[in-house]
Amino acid sequence: MVLVLAIGDLHVPHRAPDLPAKFKSMLVPGKIQHIICTGNLCIKEVHDYLKSLCPSLHITRGEYDEDSRYPETKTLTIGQFKLGLCHGHQVVPWGDLDSLAMLQRQLDVDILVSGHTHQFKAYKHEAGVVINPGSATGAYSSITYDVNPSFVLMDIDGLRVVVYVYELIDGEVKVDKIDFKKTSTATI
Amino acid sequence: MTQGGSSSHTVTTSEEQHTHTKHTYTVCTETLAQKESEFMVKKRVPDWLNSSMWSSSPAPIISPPSKSRSRSPPPPSSSHDDRLDAFPSKSSSVTSSDSSPVIEPPVPIPPPTLIRPEPPNNPGQTPRTEVRDPFTGTGGSDDGITSSVEDVSRQAKLLQALSRKIIDMGELRQLASQGVPDGAGIRSTAWKLLLAYLPSDKGIWSSELAKKRSQYKQFKEELLMNPSEITRKLEDSTSLQNGEQTGAGKGLLSRSEIPHGEHPLSLGKTSVWNRFFQDTEIIEQIDRDVKRTHPDMNFFSGDSASAKANQDALKNILIVYAKLNPGIRYVQGMNEILAPLFYVFKNDPDEDYVVNAEADTFFCFVDLLSGFQDNFVQQLDNSVVGIRSTISKMSLLLKEHDEELWRHLEITTKVNPQFYAFRWITLLLTQEFNFTDSLHIWDTLLSDPEGPQETLLRVCCAMLILVRRRLLAGDFTANLKLLQSYPSTNIGHLLYVANKLRSHSTH
Repeated sequence: MVLVLAIGDLHVPHRAPDLPAKFKSMLVPGKIQHIICTGNLCIKEVHDYLKSLCPSLHITRGEYDEDSRYPETKTLTIGQFKLGLCHGHQVVPWGDLDSLAMLQRQLDVDILVSGHTHQFKAYKHEAGVVINPGSATGAYSSITYDVNPSFVLMDIDGLRVVVYVYELIDGEVKVDKIDFKKTSTATI
Repeated sequence: MTQGGSSSHTVTTSEEQHTHTKHTYTVCTETLAQKESEFMVKKRVPDWLNSSMWSSSPAPIISPPSKSRSRSPPPPSSSHDDRLDAFPSKSSSVTSSDSSPVIEPPVPIPPPTLIRPEPPNNPGQTPRTEVRDPFTGTGGSDDGITSSVEDVSRQAKLLQALSRKIIDMGELRQLASQGVPDGAGIRSTAWKLLLAYLPSDKGIWSSELAKKRSQYKQFKEELLMNPSEITRKLEDSTSLQNGEQTGAGKGLLSRSEIPHGEHPLSLGKTSVWNRFFQDTEIIEQIDRDVKRTHPDMNFFSGDSASAKANQDALKNILIVYAKLNPGIRYVQGMNEILAPLFYVFKNDPDEDYVVNAEADTFFCFVDLLSGFQDNFVQQLDNSVVGIRSTISKMSLLLKEHDEELWRHLEITTKVNPQFYAFRWITLLLTQEFNFTDSLHIWDTLLSDPEGPQETLLRVCCAMLILVRRRLLAGDFTANLKLLQSYPSTNIGHLLYVANKLRSHSTH
């Protein structure tokens, strides 16, 4: 039972001052085993805050990140799943399923986590699953102003993943979940 | 005659060896034949308070060639008198009554040596042998001397008592309070009976055991599951799985509602996840304490797979107990009380009991702890049932029996009993003596009809009285040091003294 937090596009301090208070109250140290962050934090303080939640932190570079040492893409294996991480501004058209699927095949991962569009999405295609955690602060994106703060928490348990989607809608935290299984070591 | 503190093992040479062997088991005088009395060391220990006179003879003892259970009451008196005689060879008139799996075939007597004899026909003894070393090492010489005749007869009587269809608890208590021999799984069964885990009617043992074991299994399943599995079970039972997308297919994954507002970051009090994270703290503490239990014993610690399995079993028991008792949860020290129980049950020669040792230990642990629970609850410390009041009861007992010592300890040297008695009482003396000695003490604690709490107080008092010479001569530091690391002593003698402190007896 591994809890993995997928979060990104905070754009602190340029577009948003901080995470919403309700999100911050839920994110306490000791519960989460890994954090994967799509990028655009943008400053070191946010990095430190995330590090305090969980020492295992993986970040890829977004176009506004001030730390240029983050990689463009990252892959990691958690349990039976291979996860891929990329900010998403490199994949054109932004947010397009087919292009993201290409990236996923390139990285050879079961779950690809990417951001940049600031909209939560969870797609499935033959090669795997693409998850976009959205923007945790609700910062405006290059495409739209209308953004609900959101992030994703994945519970990886053997061959099964439960994806909990946390969204702040009208000041209230709404949680949904998505269930999927990996049928074998091959694709989902 | 030599005199000395109770911590030294003195040897007298003046009297016959014969009588000395009896002394360490004088606690059983009331139950053994009255012929005993003429050998009673009472004559030679006029002032039992001041004299730690007892002795062990180095002379070898020829033990009877065989011992067997029999229905006819064995004449213990004759056997004691005829130290050199064999038992009338009641040759294997093995009783046939047993429906229970626990009774062993009779244990043949090993050749007389100063080393404690090992029952050779116990197959699964290898885990035990390595710990036998403390058995042979420490109290070795005494046990070796007395092991033969006394032990043999006690073992015979115990086996006989345990072999009846309806076990006479009074008889069992009497026999067990003199000490249960280590062989043949007697202690394991005796403790289960004394802790009311097994009923006295042997016919219903198997059904009772099955019931309790399945109950424990259920507890484990419910309480040791992690929240992922719990939520999965909830969904499977309530709704269809609509999130499962197998096979190819493109498109958005459908979102579904979470059941009961359960998500991993939930802060709700009733949330499964929240409780799980709160419990992790306790589980971590239990884990730490279990790893530190008895680090010198291979049974409990080390890298072997069996040690790890034993540690896991201890952990499971403590976790289940903590979850079932939210009022008291887990307190440091419970692991020390649990350890001897599990050790004894796991070393039962009967395979069935070994496999189910965890479940059996759980229930016996619950029973044992129920009497002492109040010692662990901090809020009750100052109340009538709390640890402070228990300690003051012990202090009063000491005052009643040995006012001089009491005055010296509490008033002159100001050794507050809380400094030493706290550990003695809450951990049931497991930390004061070596493992085998504490098993012996527990035999008496569990079997005494007055109940373990009262008996414990008497034993603690006896511990103080046995070292009174040194205490009276010492100051605060010396006394505290002595009491906090109590010197090893002859347990039989200690229990004898404790027995004398019974309120109805005169001294």
